[in-house]
Amino acid sequence: MSHAFFRSIFRVLPLLLVLSPVNSSSCTMGNKTAEIRVKYENILSHDIDELVNMSAEYRDRCCKNKKHEHSKVFFCNDTQEIESLQSMACNMLKFFNKQKISKEFRWKAALVSCGTLQVLQCKCERHKKEKVCTQVNTHNNEDRETGEQSKKKCNHEFCELKENISSLRSCWNKFEKIISR
Amino acid sequence: MAVPAAFLAPILLLCGLGPRLAAAHGPTGVECVLFNEEYMTCVWGSRETLTTNYSLYYWYENRSPVVECKRYLWDRGVSIGCHFNQSEIVQFQPFHVLLNASLNGQALEIRSKRMELQDLVKPGAPVNLTIRNMSSNQLQLTWSSPYPKAQCLEHAVKYKSNKDTSWIEHGVKGDIFSFPSVDYEKYYTFYVRSKINSYCGSTQLWSEWSVPVVWGRNTTSLAEEQLQWFWIHTVLVPIASCLLLLVLVVLLVRMERVWVILMPRIPNPSKNFDELFITHNGNFQEWAGVPKDMLESFKPNYSESICYVSELPSREIHDPQWDGSNRLPGGPGAPAGPREHSPYQNNYVGV
Repeated sequence: MSHAFFRSIFRVLPLLLVLSPVNSSSCTMGNKTAEIRVKYENILSHDIDELVNMSAEYRDRCCKNKKHEHSKVFFCNDTQEIESLQSMACNMLKFFNKQKISKEFRWKAALVSCGTLQVLQCKCERHKKEKVCTQVNTHNNEDRETGEQSKKKCNHEFCELKENISSLRSCWNKFEKIISR
Repeated sequence: MAVPAAFLAPILLLCGLGPRLAAAHGPTGVECVLFNEEYMTCVWGSRETLTTNYSLYYWYENRSPVVECKRYLWDRGVSIGCHFNQSEIVQFQPFHVLLNASLNGQALEIRSKRMELQDLVKPGAPVNLTIRNMSSNQLQLTWSSPYPKAQCLEHAVKYKSNKDTSWIEHGVKGDIFSFPSVDYEKYYTFYVRSKINSYCGSTQLWSEWSVPVVWGRNTTSLAEEQLQWFWIHTVLVPIASCLLLLVLVVLLVRMERVWVILMPRIPNPSKNFDELFITHNGNFQEWAGVPKDMLESFKPNYSESICYVSELPSREIHDPQWDGSNRLPGGPGAPAGPREHSPYQNNYVGV
């Protein structure tokens, strides 16, 4: 009897895992829009502006020809802005270890991603990416060489990161506009 | 053979460049602006720069199919732009525009770059600018905006006094601007304009400057005020006074009761004596009513003849015959002899 009991339990559990929604939001700050707004306006928006300015200084001539090739496109879906921001932030973390992108730029992008996840109290599906945030928050910025990207050639990964940054900023603008009076 | 080739090459080159040259006279790009998020216009040129009519097609990335513009903007018979209603505008979705035209049998096509419409918003100019006097020489400027999301706006205040040569501009996050120290002898002018802030968008489009608001003493208005007072004191007051005086004079002349108060009549007692002179013929005693017996008592009841008395001449005083022994007694009819030291030297008449 006990064998049949455990067999039935073991069948149900994998079934539950398969049937559970893949894109369920793991963000816990969804209703606290006032708190999100304060953190975004006072802290995160400045980091995003710095990242965008940094992105604009680098050579991006190759990005106009290679747009949307093998790159994942993220949209800021209506009524799902927080989930969209979570997806964009988690995706941006993958560029942290891309050596073709300047270290300063990668660190700043990772800082913005981790800041977004922290403000929205979100987690990424792949927990390895969150180790990046631990590393970014604990290590300082002094050992990075500034102006490094200007020496590097324009490449596809840089273009994809730049596109990701633009989408993230645009989604934050949309979310801010929705929660503002 | 080289010479004809030399002539042919430029011709061939021009033919190749023909469509491009035609396009060069056409629109160089499409400029779209969202006016206060109520409507949008996308303009690609003007009557002077366009040689043909273009058709506009638009679509949103990951959304609706390609749609042609429903309301074109015209300039003297040439389409220069497209008007979009609020229902046709979707922000935070990449927006694409395609211009299509046919010129001399050749198809012209101009694609715009991807646009983010939330970065092309131009808010309406601020309205209801109000200045309030605060304590310690401080002014507070407030305003309101026709844009629905006030927290998505940042503002700029531009001001100048009548003594300044250039404008001073300040950025403001809220909708209140405090001017710390104001000079009451100066005249200030304030303007305000708005822009979507960096939290809600990434745009460089400022709104138009608002209608100005002024504060303080203007020299022009002061001169006008003084001129006004001058006219009042020098012209109006004297005229009004004269008119009032005239009215009073007319009233005085026409209303005898008032005239008599101001100019009392000199009493004329002659009327009281009309009876004396007319009825009683000047007879005072009769007019006064004196009784007749009293009148009779005043009349004399005796008569006397007139007695003429005269004085003799003064030569008898020096005559020696005359002394005390020769004194003759004088009768009533005899002339009186001269007497020494007589005080009576003249004639008199006794009655």
